[in-house]
Amino acid sequence: MGHALGTRSRPGRSVVTMSSITLATNRGRPFRTSNVLRQYVPLLPPSILLLVFFAIPMGMMVGLSFHPEGASTATLANYERFFTDDFTLAGLGRTVLMSGLVAICVTVMAYPVAYFLARSRSRWRAVVFALAIAPELAGVVLRTYGWLIILEDQGFINSGLMWLGLISEPLPLAKNMFGVVVGLTHVILPFGILSLLTSLQGVDPSLEKSAQILGASRISVLRHIVVPLTVPGIVSSMLLAFTMSASAYATPAILGGADFKVLATMVYEQVLFYIDWSFAAVMANVLLVMMLIIAAIGSRLEMRLHKKLHF
Amino acid sequence: MKCLFLAASAAVLSGAATIAHGQELIVNSYGGPYEQIIQDAIIKPFEEQFGVSVIYDAVGSSQQDYAKIKATNGRPGFDVVVMTASQSLEGCREGLLEPLSAEAVPNLAHLNAAISAVAGECGAVHELQYLALLYRTDMFEEAPTSWTDLYDERLDNRIVLPTFANIMAAFLTQLMSSVHGGDIDNNIDPGFEAMARLAAQSIGFEQASAILESYIRDGRVWAMPFWDGRAQLLVDSGAPVDYVLPKEGSIPLIATLNVPVGADNKELALQFVDFFLEKTSQERWVEGYKVGSARADIEVSEEARARKITTPADLDALLLPDLSSLASNLSAWGMRWEREVVPAAR
Repeated sequence: MGHALGTRSRPGRSVVTMSSITLATNRGRPFRTSNVLRQYVPLLPPSILLLVFFAIPMGMMVGLSFHPEGASTATLANYERFFTDDFTLAGLGRTVLMSGLVAICVTVMAYPVAYFLARSRSRWRAVVFALAIAPELAGVVLRTYGWLIILEDQGFINSGLMWLGLISEPLPLAKNMFGVVVGLTHVILPFGILSLLTSLQGVDPSLEKSAQILGASRISVLRHIVVPLTVPGIVSSMLLAFTMSASAYATPAILGGADFKVLATMVYEQVLFYIDWSFAAVMANVLLVMMLIIAAIGSRLEMRLHKKLHF
Repeated sequence: MKCLFLAASAAVLSGAATIAHGQELIVNSYGGPYEQIIQDAIIKPFEEQFGVSVIYDAVGSSQQDYAKIKATNGRPGFDVVVMTASQSLEGCREGLLEPLSAEAVPNLAHLNAAISAVAGECGAVHELQYLALLYRTDMFEEAPTSWTDLYDERLDNRIVLPTFANIMAAFLTQLMSSVHGGDIDNNIDPGFEAMARLAAQSIGFEQASAILESYIRDGRVWAMPFWDGRAQLLVDSGAPVDYVLPKEGSIPLIATLNVPVGADNKELALQFVDFFLEKTSQERWVEGYKVGSARADIEVSEEARARKITTPADLDALLLPDLSSLASNLSAWGMRWEREVVPAAR
């Protein structure tokens, strides 16, 4: 707050405005420093943690990407290799498509559940909440193998349908994009629900009641009041689902099959099998930049939608 | 209470003394049935003979172990690791693994020279498996004899193949190249063409050996390439399967014992490596894990002699690829596999 309001200072003197810094004059400089310190000291531990375990390794990874094996100087050769190879570009495209589909599925499926949890007074609310979060109690690998048992050619669904005589050949439910999207949606759904729940709980229920008293239908209330007011939640749910999907390894590796290559599985192969860490770093950096771009687009979209729907 | 305190102190001090004298060795290898076999055949006899304690670390595949060695610059936290000859060569080249001398590991002198040369100076070859043709005995009237039997139209949609991230795929491509007029190192084109045709009648690809073997165990596939050691374990489990070494020959999976350069207990690690290569240890290992040995002077059962690589003639018959060349080609071959072989599968 103090910083937002701030001071307009000239050399040698300060202009006093309404903020904590209003007391700061030339002579008050030590006070301002201690105030700033007090404000930022709590941020030190997480900042140091992030610096040591995130920023420095990230910097090393960026550096590594410019130094392919055998190169004595920094080079863009690996980036050129990535962006001129249709196989790696297909992996990037598949990652974006998979993550986008999961983001949509998670948000569409999470919204009604989150709305129920935010508005219901039913005694089933606690049960629904527990069921919504329950998948997180089991590990992602376990859940993914569960889906494989259900979706594979000789799995529960195909066996059942063939036993009933409804199909003669197994439906392609696993080892493809469909299977991965189903598996990832299941894994990420609880995060979407929690993200939307927070947003929905921030919408005053009296607004909906007022609209209904004035004659608006349930659909109109949802369309004109609830959804516009929860745009930030929708966007954050989609961004969360997108980034979690894009970086997911286990589910695409297990449910995707041999020809379902996304950046996360390609990075794994480069690190462990091909032992080409420089090219793996390039893929990881492309993945990171792609997610940053999507986050920036999401953020701008949220602002535009917010303005459009509110004013 | 006082007694309890004294006992606890004694236990802590004795533990500290053990560590202080470096009498604990950390060996990293595989889990599953392998773990019990190595405990019985190698680790317990080693502990008894040397009066030391071995901590067995079954976490991670050899690929993950190698990545750990590389990431820690040769100080991964274990003293001995089981890897493959390819990783052994790569680690040696990068200075991450300890070169093994005949003075430090005298039993190296008893290993087949050609096999040892393939693994390089940092790897002690303690085990050999060959790529076998595994088949369902209830589906074949006569045992297959050739790699080309995999192309039999009766096996359409009854074969499963490894993904390229399993080294078995590269070896199979090399073998198929050799069978179809190419060679295993340079002229590999016939191998890729053959693999694309084989992929067309496969049900697809899997990476993990445990998943691969589940397909033939439950009858979804009737034939597949597989390592002979694991194939033997499958036969011994009672599954209706058997395996052959096809007449065109096979490429071995050369497993090595390695010591990271930064191992805390290097001296004991080298003693463990030497112990594993001893004649009696190799005999126990061949009989226990059902694999071959690079020592040709071992005495094993007739059954092991008949089916495993244990004689100079067996060793000479193996097709030995240039693993350095393979390492440099691996990335390009991997891309080629994804473009030419994977799309050919249904």
